[in-house]
Amino acid sequence: MYLRERIQEQLKAWLEVARLDFQLALRNVLRQRRRSLFGLVSISGGVVAMLLAAGFFEWNYDAMREGMIRARIGHIQVVKPGYLEAGEADPLSYLIPETAPERELIEAFPAVEIVAPRLTFSGLVSMGESTISFLGEGVVPSAEEKLSGALRIVDGVDLSGPKADEAMLGQGLAQTLGVGVGANVILVVKTSSGGVNAKELRVVGVFGTITKAYDDYALRLPLKTAQELLRVKGVHSWLILLDATSRTDSTLARMQEKIPTNDLEFVPWHKTATADFYNKTVSLFSKQVLVVRIMIALIIVLSISNTMMTNVRERIGEIGTSMALGVTRRVVLRRLLAEGIVMGLVGGIVGAIAGIVLAHVISVIGIPMPPPPGMTSGYTAGIMVTPGIVLNALAIAVGTAFLAGLYPARKASRLNIVDALRQAR
Amino acid sequence: MPEPVVEVDHVFKEYKLGDHMVTALDDVTLTIERGVFLAIAGPSGSGKSTLLNIIGCVDTPSRGRVAIAGHDVSGKTPDQLANLRGRNIGFVFQTFNLFPVLTAAENVEYPLLQMPELDKEDRTERVSAMLDMVGLGKFAKHRPNQLSGGQRQRVAIARALVTHPEIVLADEPTANLDHKTGEGILALMREINRRSRTTFIFSTHDKKVIDAADRLVTIEDGTLRLLGIRKDGQWITTPANRKPAPAAPEI
Ligand SMILES: Nc1ncnc2c1ncn2[C@@H]1O[C@H](COP(=O)(O)OP(=O)(O)O)[C@@H](O)[C@H]1O
Ligand SMILES: [Mg+2]
Repeated sequence: MYLRERIQEQLKAWLEVARLDFQLALRNVLRQRRRSLFGLVSISGGVVAMLLAAGFFEWNYDAMREGMIRARIGHIQVVKPGYLEAGEADPLSYLIPETAPERELIEAFPAVEIVAPRLTFSGLVSMGESTISFLGEGVVPSAEEKLSGALRIVDGVDLSGPKADEAMLGQGLAQTLGVGVGANVILVVKTSSGGVNAKELRVVGVFGTITKAYDDYALRLPLKTAQELLRVKGVHSWLILLDATSRTDSTLARMQEKIPTNDLEFVPWHKTATADFYNKTVSLFSKQVLVVRIMIALIIVLSISNTMMTNVRERIGEIGTSMALGVTRRVVLRRLLAEGIVMGLVGGIVGAIAGIVLAHVISVIGIPMPPPPGMTSGYTAGIMVTPGIVLNALAIAVGTAFLAGLYPARKASRLNIVDALRQAR
Repeated sequence: MPEPVVEVDHVFKEYKLGDHMVTALDDVTLTIERGVFLAIAGPSGSGKSTLLNIIGCVDTPSRGRVAIAGHDVSGKTPDQLANLRGRNIGFVFQTFNLFPVLTAAENVEYPLLQMPELDKEDRTERVSAMLDMVGLGKFAKHRPNQLSGGQRQRVAIARALVTHPEIVLADEPTANLDHKTGEGILALMREINRRSRTTFIFSTHDKKVIDAADRLVTIEDGTLRLLGIRKDGQWITTPANRKPAPAAPEI
């Protein structure tokens, strides 16, 4: 009890010291308005540049990620253990039931929007003379309506129901085959028993996603039709769509805790093979953003340290006076460092506000982009400033301003008092 | 025997100027009793500031021993000296040296921020008492640039006294003021000295203001010349003996 009161007292004392230091620092920063303004502008400018650069990349990551999740893979996939590693060679050995008690448990999670079962297989599709291989997905159309929000139907309509003898073809696949809506195609697949089965389906629609490589091979058909074709009962995965991508890992952890099972594996979107390209892209461009950040930080340090140096040089008399009045070197150092932090904070906050506003304006206007590799068409990019980006930029602003103040502050704290006092006017 | 508050014992101070040495203080020995109002008089360049700086622990002697309020100054770290200054010594400067970003009250409060044992309430109480004492109670919220020279020096006096120091050092406190204002400042310090028994030491190159003091030391070329004591409005002076070290001259 007593100790706690002591700690509280001490904390209060420290807070009071910090308040006084920052109040003093703020006034000193405000007194040389022009010079401080110059320093603040360079910090704010740096923060704006960081927000826009990182926000632009973030927008692209986001578009790529959401396009992938909301057309193809969902947030969490529930599969038979080992399916992701070995499933490709022998897909029909990795089936799970279409419905099970676990699925109901999953659907009861508040973050879960929908659970969509899928059966994935490959085979040959032909139309007249041309035959090519395809990647088939047996889907429940009503569930996909929600899950595949980022899948665009470029021609025709969606699959009508879970049983119809219909197919929807990826843009590239339709083109290569030379078929359009209304045509009939024949699918040929290897069945679970090792035999071969074929089925004629009517093309009801043509779709496009953000991934050209996928659209060149993919076709979708109703789940029941696919099961009949392959002569199987189950599915390969339940795709779970959440209300927000950011909730993936926390929801996953809770699912693993609440749904004890050895027969099912929960895989977050970023651990799937489909996300590999995305993950590599992000790590490559994140390095580039890091370089941009370092360069901006350097520019801030260079321009602020000059301001700080001048501030200190001009106030040598005052610093000498404060030391004569009993202020220790450590406190001189602390108070001058506080000025750097105040500059960084003020410049950072102003820059963050300006950057967020600018990002909105640019996003409304849009940035026209050419088709990137692996995607079908050009697009209009925006700038997405996340709280993480803002915090990062603020931390860099405060950190660099602090660093810039370090040398002048240290020098000032070691001044010879008599020499310093002689400069007082 | 009266208690000494400052003991300066065979102090030398040398500065390197280019390739020769300048002797700013040349074997100075001086004992100052508690509660006196002492003037250090001498021409410009005679070593007044150097002596005050050494007494004020902002400078250290090249040789010799200094004790302030019973603390031997030699061998103390910069932080220890800062604490010693903060708690025992008040400074009044020729150029006032107020902090321009702080109000009069905040300037007076400033040295108290080094005293964690005082909370905000204690500090505010002391500050307003000090401002009242120097007659500036109504100017608490004014910034230094809104005050006249005399008012600024009064704020500086309040700031020097707010920590209840043993000694107040004032290096040419009237040199930047007109004669009348300067006299007012010295009279104020004198009055505080009488009331609080705080030791005041001020330097001046102006013979006209010496009479505000009750003790006198004259200095020339870094050497003490005369020691004076004022009795019934008259100065009684004795030569400040350089060498007879056994008994340091009492003034
Ligand atoms: N930092 C210094 N470097 C060189 N010489 C100095 C320095 N400080 C003071 N002096 C010299 O010491 C002597 C005494 O100076 P000072 O104590 O300032 O005299 P006063 O205050 O009486 O005018 C002068 O000759 C001055 O030039
Ligand atoms: Mg001087």
